[in-house]
Amino acid sequence: MKTLDPGTALEGAAREAGGRIVAALAATFRDLDLAEEAFAEACARAAAIWPTALPLDPAAWLYVTARRCALDMIRRRTVRRRLTPEAPAPEATAEDVLASDARLIPDERLRLIFVCCHPAVAPEARAALTLRLVCGLSAREIARAFLIAEPALFQRLTRAKKKIAEAGVSFEVPGPDAWPERLAAVLSTLEVAYARAHEDAAGTGTHAGYAREMLDLTAVLAELLPNEPECLAFAALVRFAEARRPARLDAEGAMVPLSEQDPRLWSRPLIAEGEALLRAAARLNRPGPRQLRAALHGVWCARRSLAEPPPWSAALALYDLLLDWREDPFVRLNRAVVLAEVAGPAAGLAEIKKLDAARLDDFQPFHAVQADLLARLGRPDEALAAYDRAIAMAPGAAERLWLIRRRTEL
Amino acid sequence: MRYALLIYENEDLYRAGDGRAMDDIIAAHQALAGELAAAGVLQGGSGLKTVDTATTVRKTGGQHALHDGPYAEAREQLGGFYLVEVPDLDAALAIAKRIPLAGDGAVEVRPVIDED
Repeated sequence: MKTLDPGTALEGAAREAGGRIVAALAATFRDLDLAEEAFAEACARAAAIWPTALPLDPAAWLYVTARRCALDMIRRRTVRRRLTPEAPAPEATAEDVLASDARLIPDERLRLIFVCCHPAVAPEARAALTLRLVCGLSAREIARAFLIAEPALFQRLTRAKKKIAEAGVSFEVPGPDAWPERLAAVLSTLEVAYARAHEDAAGTGTHAGYAREMLDLTAVLAELLPNEPECLAFAALVRFAEARRPARLDAEGAMVPLSEQDPRLWSRPLIAEGEALLRAAARLNRPGPRQLRAALHGVWCARRSLAEPPPWSAALALYDLLLDWREDPFVRLNRAVVLAEVAGPAAGLAEIKKLDAARLDDFQPFHAVQADLLARLGRPDEALAAYDRAIAMAPGAAERLWLIRRRTEL
Repeated sequence: MRYALLIYENEDLYRAGDGRAMDDIIAAHQALAGELAAAGVLQGGSGLKTVDTATTVRKTGGQHALHDGPYAEAREQLGGFYLVEVPDLDAALAIAKRIPLAGDGAVEVRPVIDED
């Protein structure tokens, strides 16, 4: 066995198994605060003890210790309430010894995801709570990613946990009859969380960790709900999107549009995983919007090199199917981009002019797309104005650099 | 856990027509209440007379003042409640979805403070 320094071992075990441990404790004790506190206490004890005695299985040690801490806390609470003398701290039990293998930590993450994304929890708190409890991200990391102040996020988390405890939100995984409502809440929460990670082409510090967590989280969902095609499709989408991350920035740090990305830089193993998931979803024969979105990513990821023509017409067909499912101005905008490639920039711009400009005015790509089409139609003055609008909306650094470059090329 | 299911509806829905709407809804409530009682879930509940019969006692600065009418004037008013004992919120929400309403309306699900 290789020697690890205790700090690295603790950080590694907490990151690897933290979500599982907190989920297992929460499921056992039906108490999110207790689960979090007990895990934090176990980490504190590890920091004190591991430098002199590093356990064989750090994750298992954390789990057993956190469980014992949770039992202690419950005992102290009960004692306080009944005003009887404090009972002695519990000894390590035979069960503790048995559980000293990390593989024996029960995987209750799905249960915890359903709790965190319960429709009774405020929508703006669901993603934050899931990332905090199931993925073990710190409040600081989540606050940075969601662009809100840490105290505000903390308050949001506290309120959500109090609601879950006081209102008696169930810790059971709901039965399939409740899934249309409950699974939809889970998937849309994770979609919002992932969209934030994905928006940022640079994938710098604030999002990198949680993009990786989204791969894990969707893998858990796909593994535990293998008969839910929308669930598999979302897991596929995250893989397709993450596979392209290495090609999303050029040498100067500017964004590279999808059609100009070098497919040879994309991660083939992730794409293969995505394709397998999407095929499994299709075999279930229950189409849905997430499968169409994943398929859109999939047709792009099937491109092997820049020498192959971009899949514009396949993408156009998929956007049409998506719009059959539900009218959506953002999907229409994306479709217009593709239509401009298939039928020319005038056709694309005509489609955009039909959209509700008031609704899309705050959406930076609405202006960037028009700028590009106007430039291609030989209307540089209007293009310039549209680029200025897009740049003024303060996009991420990579997007900004790209927009400024396009504007200069006019 | 015990929950109060508070029913908010527009009372005009019951005033319109020949009172048939009211009779149908009452029958539906009786059927649901009977089922919940048989399952050992129902702990109480009642329909309330319309808000034009309400009197509100308000305490302000140690003084009580009475006024004719409900606590708050709103399009939808508290019209009745169920008190149920179920394992968790999801079970209470499932019952809330089954409560008969004459038209649009809302059922607020509130946990009851238990003594222990």
